[in-house]
Parts: sequence; C-alpha cells; structure tokens
Amino acid sequence: MRIERKSWNDPVFVATVAPLALVMVAFFLVPLLMTAVLTFQTTQYYRLVWTWDLKIWTEVFSKPHYWTIMMRTVAMALICVVLTVLIAFPAAYALATRLKTFKTQIQILIIFAFLTDAVLKTFGWILILDKNGVANWLLMHLGFPPEMLNLLFTPTGTMIGMVYNLVAYPMFTIYLSLVRIDRDLMLAAYDAGASRIRTFFEVTLPLSRPGLYSGAVLVFVLSLGAFLEPKVLGGGTSPLASELIRQSFETRVNWPLGAALTMVLITIGALMLAACAAFVLRRPSTGRRPA
Amino acid sequence: MASPIIDASGIVKDYGTARALHGVSLQIGTGEFVALVGPSGCGKTTLLKILAGFEEPTGGHLQIQGRDMRGVPAASRPTRMVFQKLALFPHKTVAENIGFPLKLQKVGKTEANGRIRAMLDLMHLKPDYLERYPAQLSGGEQQRVALARALVSQPGVLLLDEPMSALDAKLKKSLQAELKKLHRELGTSFVLVTHDLEEAMMLADRICVMRSGHVVQVGTPADIYYRPANMFVAGFIGETNFLPVTASAAGDGMAVVSPLVAVGKTTIASEHVSPSLSAKGTALLVRPETIRFVKGDAAPGEWVLDGHVEEYFIKGASTQYRVRVHGLDNAVILDLPGSIVLPAAVGEAVRIGFDPTQAFLLSE
Ligand SMILES: Nc1ncnc2c1ncn2[C@@H]1O[C@H](COP(=O)(O)OP(=O)(O)OP(=O)(O)O)[C@@H](O)[C@H]1O
Ligand SMILES: [Mg+2]
Repeated sequence: MRIERKSWNDPVFVATVAPLALVMVAFFLVPLLMTAVLTFQTTQYYRLVWTWDLKIWTEVFSKPHYWTIMMRTVAMALICVVLTVLIAFPAAYALATRLKTFKTQIQILIIFAFLTDAVLKTFGWILILDKNGVANWLLMHLGFPPEMLNLLFTPTGTMIGMVYNLVAYPMFTIYLSLVRIDRDLMLAAYDAGASRIRTFFEVTLPLSRPGLYSGAVLVFVLSLGAFLEPKVLGGGTSPLASELIRQSFETRVNWPLGAALTMVLITIGALMLAACAAFVLRRPSTGRRPA
Repeated sequence: MASPIIDASGIVKDYGTARALHGVSLQIGTGEFVALVGPSGCGKTTLLKILAGFEEPTGGHLQIQGRDMRGVPAASRPTRMVFQKLALFPHKTVAENIGFPLKLQKVGKTEANGRIRAMLDLMHLKPDYLERYPAQLSGGEQQRVALARALVSQPGVLLLDEPMSALDAKLKKSLQAELKKLHRELGTSFVLVTHDLEEAMMLADRICVMRSGHVVQVGTPADIYYRPANMFVAGFIGETNFLPVTASAAGDGMAVVSPLVAVGKTTIASEHVSPSLSAKGTALLVRPETIRFVKGDAAPGEWVLDGHVEEYFIKGASTQYRVRVHGLDNAVILDLPGSIVLPAAVGEAVRIGFDPTQAFLLSE
C-alpha cells in the first residue's frame, strides 16, 4: 500500500480526515493532557488543590516501591508476550495449514472463547488452580502427591490468567499472516532443495512476522494494563501497576499520584514499543525497504 | 530418442473424484525444448507439478535421468521450476533469491557470489540490482531473477509454467527470444507450459498438445502446423477454415466430395491426410492464405464457393476478408497479401476458390 503525500490545503483531504482527527483529539489527546496536568497538583485532606507543584513527581521518583511494581509489570508483560506467542504460533500454524477442513468450526470456538466475559473466565480459573481445585485433584489421581500445585494467589496464577485471556489476539494476527503467504513460495523453496523445516525458517516464519509483531504489541499493551488477573488469581500478593494506580485514586484518594503513575506506565510502554519498532524496522519484513 | 531425460508413461492424476490427467505419456530428450500447450484446465500445470515432484501421480510411471521418481521429493530431483506467478521470496534481496539454492547446497560464499554474478550477466541484469527486493523490480526484471534462481544450480531440466503470461506483448517477444538463446547456450532441457501455440511454435523443438487431460498430438512445430492430428489442434494454431466433406478410401489417398461444390470427387494424396483420421466429422483444413477471389473462370480442379463479403480487416502486410457462404456455419476467412488495392467491398457478391489437393484432410 502506498501512502501518498497529501496537503493540508487540500479541502477534500481535510474533510475526510477531520472526523477521525476530532475523535482522536477528544477521546485520546485531551484526557492524556488532563492527566498530565493533574500530576502537577497536590491534595490536602482528600481534596484536590490547584497549584503548579513538583511535589508528586518528587514522591514518585524517591520511592523505589513504585518502581519495583512498574518493573514487575513490564517483566510480567514481556513474559506474557513470549508465552502467548509460543502458544499462539503453533496453534495458528495448525489452523492455517493442517486443520483446514475444520477451519470454520475451530474459528467459531475461538470466537466464542474470545467473546465470553473475561471476568467469568478468570473466576473459572479459581476452580482449577485452588488448592482443592481441579488441577490438584487430577494430579492426585494421576499418582502425584496431594496438593502438589499451589498456584492460586501467586504471580504464576496471575500469569496463567493473563496468558489465557490474551492468547487469542496473537493467534488471530498470526493466522491472518500465515494464510496470506502464497503456497507457491513454499513450493519454490522445496524446489530449490529446502527441507520442510528449512522452508519454515527461511520462508514461513519471516513472512509471518507482521502478524507476530502486531500480536506481540497487542499482548504487551493489554498486559501492561492487566487488572483483573492480578486481583482475582494473584490475590493482591504482588500487585501490578494497574492495582497501584487504582489504589492511588480510590483508596488513598490521591489523584495527582495516580495520574503521575499512569503517566509513568504510559511512558515506559511507549518507549519500549518505540525501541522494538526501531529494532524491527532495521530490516524490512514485507519486501519494501523503509523509506 | 536415444536416452530421454524424462520418461513419463501412462500418468494418471485424480483430485478427489475428478480426473485431471488420463494416462499421459511423454518422452523428453536431453537438451530438448518441449512445449506443453492446451486450453485452460487441460492439466498442463498438473503435469508439470508431477514432473517437479509437488504432486504424486495417482497412476503411471515417471523416470527422470533413468531413475524412478516414486517417492522422490522435489528437493532431490534434477528439475527446477519457474512459477506462473514467479514466487520470488519477497523478504529476500535479489542476491539472496538467486543464491538460495546455492545456500541450501552449502556452496562456499566466494563461489556462490561468482555464480550469482554469472547468472546476473547471463540474464542481462545490472549488478546494483543485487541488493534490491523483488518488489523494487519491473515485471520483466523479476522474470529474469526467477529464471536466474532456477538456473543457478545447473538443473538437468528447467520447468517453466507460463512464465510470460503476465507480461505485455513487446516484453514478451524479447524474453521469448532470450529464452531461446538461453536454451541454445545452456543445453539444459526446457519444458515450457503455455496456452499460446504461437509461442510454442517459436520456441520449442517439439510440442505436446493437450486437451482435458489427454495428449492429443506430440510433434515438431512443422508437424503440428502442417499435419495437425485433428480439428482441435488445427483450430488451436489460429484462425483457419474447415470445410465439411465426405471422404472415402481411393487408392493411395482419399477421395473427398463436398455438397457445396459442383466439381465433384477430388483425390487427396496421403501426405495431405491426417494419420489419425476417423469417419466422424471429416473436414478439409483450408488455410486463409490459400484462398483467392475468383474473377472470371475457375482454374482446373479448383473448388469454388459463392458468397458475399461480410467484413474485411486491414492488417498492413495483408488484408483479411470474411466471406459468408450459404450452407456454412462460419464465415470463410481469406488472407490476401497487400492492403492498397481492395478487391471487394462489404456486401459484394463474390466467388472464392482454392486448390483442394493442397488442403489437409482431418476429422474432429
Ligand atoms: N489442487 C487441486 N484440487 C482439485 N482440482 C485441481 C487441483 N489442481 C488442479 N485441479 C483441476 O485439474 C484440472 C487441470 O488443472 P491444471 O491447473 O493442470 O490446468 P492448466 O492446464 O494448468 O490450466 P491453466 O492454463 O488455466 O493454468 C482442472 O480441471 C483443475 O480444476
Ligand atoms: Mg496452469
């Protein structure tokens, strides 16, 4: 797809872009700006005091506790990206190549799993992960010692829930990339003397990179804001950023602090995405060099 | 043929319940250029894929270089394919594309680079294209890169699946000439699939005409042109005329008679009769350039038909006339040399004549 150079003097262009631009400004930029402004205010007796003060920022930067939680959030998000992609790729590959006959049925099942409310599914995991839950019951009956797993209310429990709730995203994006690959390219690789495995690494994998990257970005962004899973399955033992922010706003009624922590989380996420984008764009994945 | 490099006999291919090939037999000699032609869906690509090893035949035998090919994967066959849509790797540069077979054979870097360069020269590609991606090349250049990738590992047989169908007419002509030159220089066997019989006649040593999964005729371009097996092959060559006749054996050749012509029985010598003549739907193949307008008396033995001019087309070096003859379904086509003096106007009643002994007798 070619992006043409458009002029802001072109009335048709402005007219077509204006609605989107307005929506973006009204629902994204303005709230972001308001959040930024909020960080320079202070609170007294649970009331917002309008000033221009760096008090909140000094607090944020002087308390390592916040940064531990931020780092833990980023680490959890990265692990979640790796795990979801590792699970989603083989599943999407099987769907795109091997299970073509059951394609529709499997897609419908995935969409149903996707549409079922995340709260419901997350609570469902309690039944499985609980000390007296399904997982331990099964393991015991398979001959393992009783109460072998102790996953509920641990970071591992949180991770299981996050992976489970997010894995459908990369599965879809990778699937869409895989089905777009021309089968002749694989035949051409076989013809040139490549084995199936070699063909996978030389042709299939590189050409599915767009789906891999977009899936990874989706999972990363969504797991930075993971809220439900740490609360329900992590039990608040090792809170993530979203919980910290919620506490600042609700429990401590310190809006400027919540806003500042929000800004920190957004900045970390944006910086990491920018770094990844720079890394990815070193070498084109679609056959066109970056301009 | 001394020792065919490809020996296919009785190849059958079923896709589910549909049969794409009904027992195709074809031998291809070492260094020979063979063209597979036929209408869309007749099984050309299917046959090529069986040769390349992408599809297993349902039945029949296939030997390449004297080796049975059952269960031999594409990677281990001495064949290389140029795909209909080229199938260049979009994420690899031109150098990586051409060098891909060498990389798989673990050819050393310096030798590989040398061979890639040599291919580039052979294909008249500029060296600064090496670092480009396929999307940054024109259609003709992509074509050459695909050829280079297929030829770089010096295959025994090059399989080409309509590689020029997507190009404009002028580029097509120049690439056809290059392909022929390439074949002469390399001595590799070429198998070219095309639905364009003219292209096949220009390039191939032998042509295999296919129709709905069967081989209709295999022969040199001259065989195909002058001695077509039946009306299907003759009609495939280009616009021509078929005059329905009844034929009966007469000594060495055949005696033919047409109800539209007053002259009566004419004997056609055996070299003007198709070897696979059947009783059903016999007709005379009369080429447009062998018909003339008859003004005055007909020549002795000449068959003359009455009609009127339906339309004419000036082609430059020649003029094509379409003459509607009473009793024939299709207009008779004449190709007259020159286009300055037009012998008849549209709607004019004309008499057209030809020498039946120079026509070719065939059947449906
Ligand atoms: N993978 C397939 N599954 C089912 N049927 C197929 C498959 N590939 C080809 N066919 C059928 O086999 C027949 C021959 O197809 P093939 O592709 O060999 O034709 P072709 O001569 O190459 O035609 P074209 O000139 O249009 O490329 C067609 O009727 C086609 O529908
Ligand atoms: Mg084809």
